[in-house]
Amino acid sequence: MIGNNRNIQIRRIFRQNESYLFLVVIAYSTLITSLNPSFLSLENLFDLGKSSAGMGILAIGVFIVLLSGGIDISFAAIAISGQYIAANVLIATGIDNIFFAFLISCSVGIALGAINGLLISSFKIPTLIATLGTLSVFHGALLTIVGSKAINSAQLPDCFKIFGAKDVLILTKANGINYGLSIFTLIFIAVALLTWFFLKHTMLGRGIYAIGGDMNAAERSGFNIAKIQFFIYCYVGFLAGIAGVLHISLIRYSNPTYIVGTELSVIAAVVLGGTRITGGSGTIIGTIMGVAMVTILNNSLILVGLSSYWQNFFVGLIIVISVSFTSYQSKRGIGSIILNRN
Amino acid sequence: MMIGVFIVISIFLPSKFLTIRNFQSISSQIPEFGFLAIAMMLAMLTGGIDLSVISTANLAGIAAALILTKFSIPQVGGYEEIFIIISAIAAALTVSLICGFINGVLIAYVGVPAILATLGTMGLFSGIAIIVTKGYGILGFPEKFLLIGSGTIFSMPVPMIIFIICALMMVLVLNKTSFGFNIYMLGSNPTVARFSGINNSRVLVRAYMLSSFYVGIASIIMISRVNSIRPGYGSAYLLQAILVCVLGGVDPSGGYGNISGLVMGIITLQILQSGFNILSFSPFFKKVIWGLILILVMVINFYSYKFSQKSKKLKIS
Repeated sequence: MIGNNRNIQIRRIFRQNESYLFLVVIAYSTLITSLNPSFLSLENLFDLGKSSAGMGILAIGVFIVLLSGGIDISFAAIAISGQYIAANVLIATGIDNIFFAFLISCSVGIALGAINGLLISSFKIPTLIATLGTLSVFHGALLTIVGSKAINSAQLPDCFKIFGAKDVLILTKANGINYGLSIFTLIFIAVALLTWFFLKHTMLGRGIYAIGGDMNAAERSGFNIAKIQFFIYCYVGFLAGIAGVLHISLIRYSNPTYIVGTELSVIAAVVLGGTRITGGSGTIIGTIMGVAMVTILNNSLILVGLSSYWQNFFVGLIIVISVSFTSYQSKRGIGSIILNRN
Repeated sequence: MMIGVFIVISIFLPSKFLTIRNFQSISSQIPEFGFLAIAMMLAMLTGGIDLSVISTANLAGIAAALILTKFSIPQVGGYEEIFIIISAIAAALTVSLICGFINGVLIAYVGVPAILATLGTMGLFSGIAIIVTKGYGILGFPEKFLLIGSGTIFSMPVPMIIFIICALMMVLVLNKTSFGFNIYMLGSNPTVARFSGINNSRVLVRAYMLSSFYVGIASIIMISRVNSIRPGYGSAYLLQAILVCVLGGVDPSGGYGNISGLVMGIITLQILQSGFNILSFSPFFKKVIWGLILILVMVINFYSYKFSQKSKKLKIS
């Protein structure tokens, strides 16, 4: 009996999307390392952790929206709005404090997210169309009202630069150059843990899974759908605000046309992580794995020496293949869906 | 609504708006945009959406452009030039049909949700377009080819004539053939459609192929009007195509919508567009307005739906 039980457990592990993805990530990393050994150095991995933190946080936001059965494509516009407004306010007021920047960026994010939430929860506009509209309104308004000039490194308040260079764990290479684990990675891990806890152990979090699974059933079992949806989009806005500040600290430059246009690869990462776009099913671990996969892919294309022209093609190809794989699996048998959900 | 917009703009800007030249420029812009909107409408009628229209158009346009620039030598005379033009058009339409076929198979046979499938193929097609052209634009087509986009017959722009013919054909397909009926049926309730003996998968694949065929025509008109093509051209049209569909009364969840509503939507949008151009709004501000209109229309639809539900209930009681 015990052996049988373990057998089932092992089979379940293999049936999970995350395990497939994990194997793919490992296999791919090995391949890249054999082509270019500098890939698997701790330095490159720390670097990847730093540069993908912003995308990872955005991906967690998208993950929650997909979980609830919706889709959000305005998050990139929210992130850049938060970032650009925060940078401008900091320059205008002369306050040079990173926490103040986070405060402004996140407030902007929550406010814009609330607009999405309001449109979706009270007017029942399909989420794709609502966020497509707000994407264009937010970004257009940012460029018209706040401005379209880039903030260069010299104008940028110092707190961003200090924050961007902050490492928590500093190691020294053989040739004496220091490198370390960036604070960005820690923030990303903190956000992931917080979101995981709140999805797993709070009523609101269970509600998100519930409305994604079946909206009518969730309503009848007493979840306040409008409230949950409103919360989801505010939370996405909040996360986008954080990601906006991380992005500006990373590249030490703020151009109001950046970030917008990366929606596709973020959504791709989340979908790659096994989150079902029809809602109700998906895990944080899977999302992180998806982000890792897309980051490694983008990074490795450069390391292997393929030009960046191929990037769009590969991201598209990977979405098509992975989505086809999961859709085909779930189409073949309803039994497999039930097993996958646990 | 269309008439309202027309009157408001005419009153405020009579000297610039009410000119023949302005109407000609409006009517030359309608077609390429109209084809994309019809393509989007077909996808929406089946209950899906097609986010890959622009990248399909780019890829088809690039296929045609490659043939036009590779093989056309200035000194070759009449027949060969026409042969090259025809083969370029055929190439564009074939590429777009293949793109539509890929979308359709992914959605119908593999079972991928339409948003995701077309999101993926959007990246895929535009990726191929970038790889083929290395990100550069292709320009300089034979003069006869340019007639498609900018010529006139009896002072009617050629694209407009093509558009009217194709729109009428679409009306016939949607209203007079069993295929059109099946699309509406599939969009309003796929389960019922299946149980009434419709082969859902086949209808879906055909609908997406037809949709891409119209995208292919749009791409031909587009490249011959601007005399060049580069990957990423016309990416702003995606939002506008969806906007036109919603404005024209197409239900994004499938099953409702017709060409006449759509054409109204297109004309309204174009009149607004030309009004903005006369007022010389910045492109960013236009972006805000398009987004606002899209949301506003959806909110109005929500209230009108609620109102009609209420009045239905009143009648019953």
